[in-house]
Amino acid sequence: MSFAFKLVNRERKLEECTPLFEEEKYVRQKNKLIEYLKPLEEATETGLIVKEELCVGCSNCVVVCPVHVEKDPYGCGSGLAPKTDKLILKVENGVVHVVDMDMCRRYGKDRVLCVVCRENCPTDAISFLEG
Amino acid sequence: MVDYYTCTGCSCLCDDIEVELDGENVKIVKTACRRGSNIFLEYKENRAEPIIDGKKVEFEEAIKKGQELMENSENFAIYGMDTIPVEAQKIAIEIAESKEAYIDNSSTYCLGDLVEMVLKNELPTATFEDVKDYAYVIFYWGVDPHNSLPRHMSRYTYYPRGKKRQRGYEEDRYLVVADVRKSHTAMLVAKNARFIQVDDDLKLVDAFIKVIDKQMPEKYADDAVRVIREMQKADFNVIMGGLGLRYGLKGNYEKFKEMMNKMNEVAKVYFIPAGCHANMRGFNETLFEKTGFINKYSFKDKESSLDYAFFELLKNDKVDTALVIGSDPVNSLPFEVSKKLAKINTIVVDPRNSFTAKIAKVVIPSAISGVEQGGTMIRSDGVRVKVNGLFEREINDVYVLERLKEVIA
Repeated sequence: MSFAFKLVNRERKLEECTPLFEEEKYVRQKNKLIEYLKPLEEATETGLIVKEELCVGCSNCVVVCPVHVEKDPYGCGSGLAPKTDKLILKVENGVVHVVDMDMCRRYGKDRVLCVVCRENCPTDAISFLEG
Repeated sequence: MVDYYTCTGCSCLCDDIEVELDGENVKIVKTACRRGSNIFLEYKENRAEPIIDGKKVEFEEAIKKGQELMENSENFAIYGMDTIPVEAQKIAIEIAESKEAYIDNSSTYCLGDLVEMVLKNELPTATFEDVKDYAYVIFYWGVDPHNSLPRHMSRYTYYPRGKKRQRGYEEDRYLVVADVRKSHTAMLVAKNARFIQVDDDLKLVDAFIKVIDKQMPEKYADDAVRVIREMQKADFNVIMGGLGLRYGLKGNYEKFKEMMNKMNEVAKVYFIPAGCHANMRGFNETLFEKTGFINKYSFKDKESSLDYAFFELLKNDKVDTALVIGSDPVNSLPFEVSKKLAKINTIVVDPRNSFTAKIAKVVIPSAISGVEQGGTMIRSDGVRVKVNGLFEREINDVYVLERLKEVIA
């Protein structure tokens, strides 16, 4: 189970599971796992996936983010244009972009499984690996 | 110091838009939604050219032809003005007055009736700034702001922290969405929120009245009781009414006013129209100041009537010449009606090569509000917003209308 967690957290790689790649009888499982883990390639370090084609640029995610509220209370926290460049997400050319994932509460040792940006995105432009 | 510009994509008129330029090309638009960004990013696309009878001409020739058609017109109408500044709207109204013409905009079939009740002080209203700072219950009725006014909730109402609402939407706001379907806005209803799936708006109005009168409503009893109870918790609540409410009321505005009055007996509830084009309310207010009516007005008969609505005038062949500015009726009105614009003398003043421009007799190119021309615009809550153009062009709506006015002044 530990290896699976590390795999999802990108601390280990699937190739490190040698029997999977060396033994013929695991070919089906290997292919399935490669397929399952494909979304990891487009996800950020915190498991956040942004689908720009679904985004309407409403800024809900930018305004609700607790980190933004703390760092930029009179900009993002008040619904206005950001007054700082130190942001996790920003809306540019009408769609949301990831700026600095290191600031996200889901990142690092004391991480919390915050999903507030996803919860307030009704078009599913924001999603997380865990669903 | 950052220069902020105003987006004229919808009636939110967000005035915190940052734009990065490379010469005259817009490279990056920050903070604006998808709709607003594209107004800046694609301002050079699909531009109108001066045209007479389908042939490209010099700008001066198009102006002269427009003047000639206006001068010779006996039944003249002006339509649109939804996206042009108040300064240009005033000139258009002056032209209509001099020509004893009909004047109308899209509010006739949009939110005009709701705006009229607000302007006549029949409904208590508030500004977005007040909503942000004080509102607890935020009630979207017959509107899907997530799609039609993308930053409405994140900038002005539900999500931002305000003076007396500093704990965020989960604790300091109560969201109510009343709609016929589970819209994107309705999907945001989670904790401390309620979605009312409405199949008859009048029954919901009736439910609120009956609950306040301590009677049992026919439908929506649970919803009405819960919403009223939440409204009583705060001294500031707001209902944002959209097109769904306007048409759902089926003209029974007295019932809605009665509901608002009843609500204000037990709580403090304000009303703000939600929807409309960038400066649709601007036209309503400008005409209201001049005539006491907000749309479908005849300067000849000095009254407002559905008979003078632009689509009725076209349907009944009442006009020989129409000036269409800041609107695209071929796109927005039923084609059976709007196709008649090809048969009469239609003068289109528009920055874009719109569908109406394609069938017009004369096309006079103009400037895009917020990009190539500034001025005053009125937000859907009635606040006047000073719009600065990214570039200021000499030929804009004020200039074109002043030139057209020369022949009738």
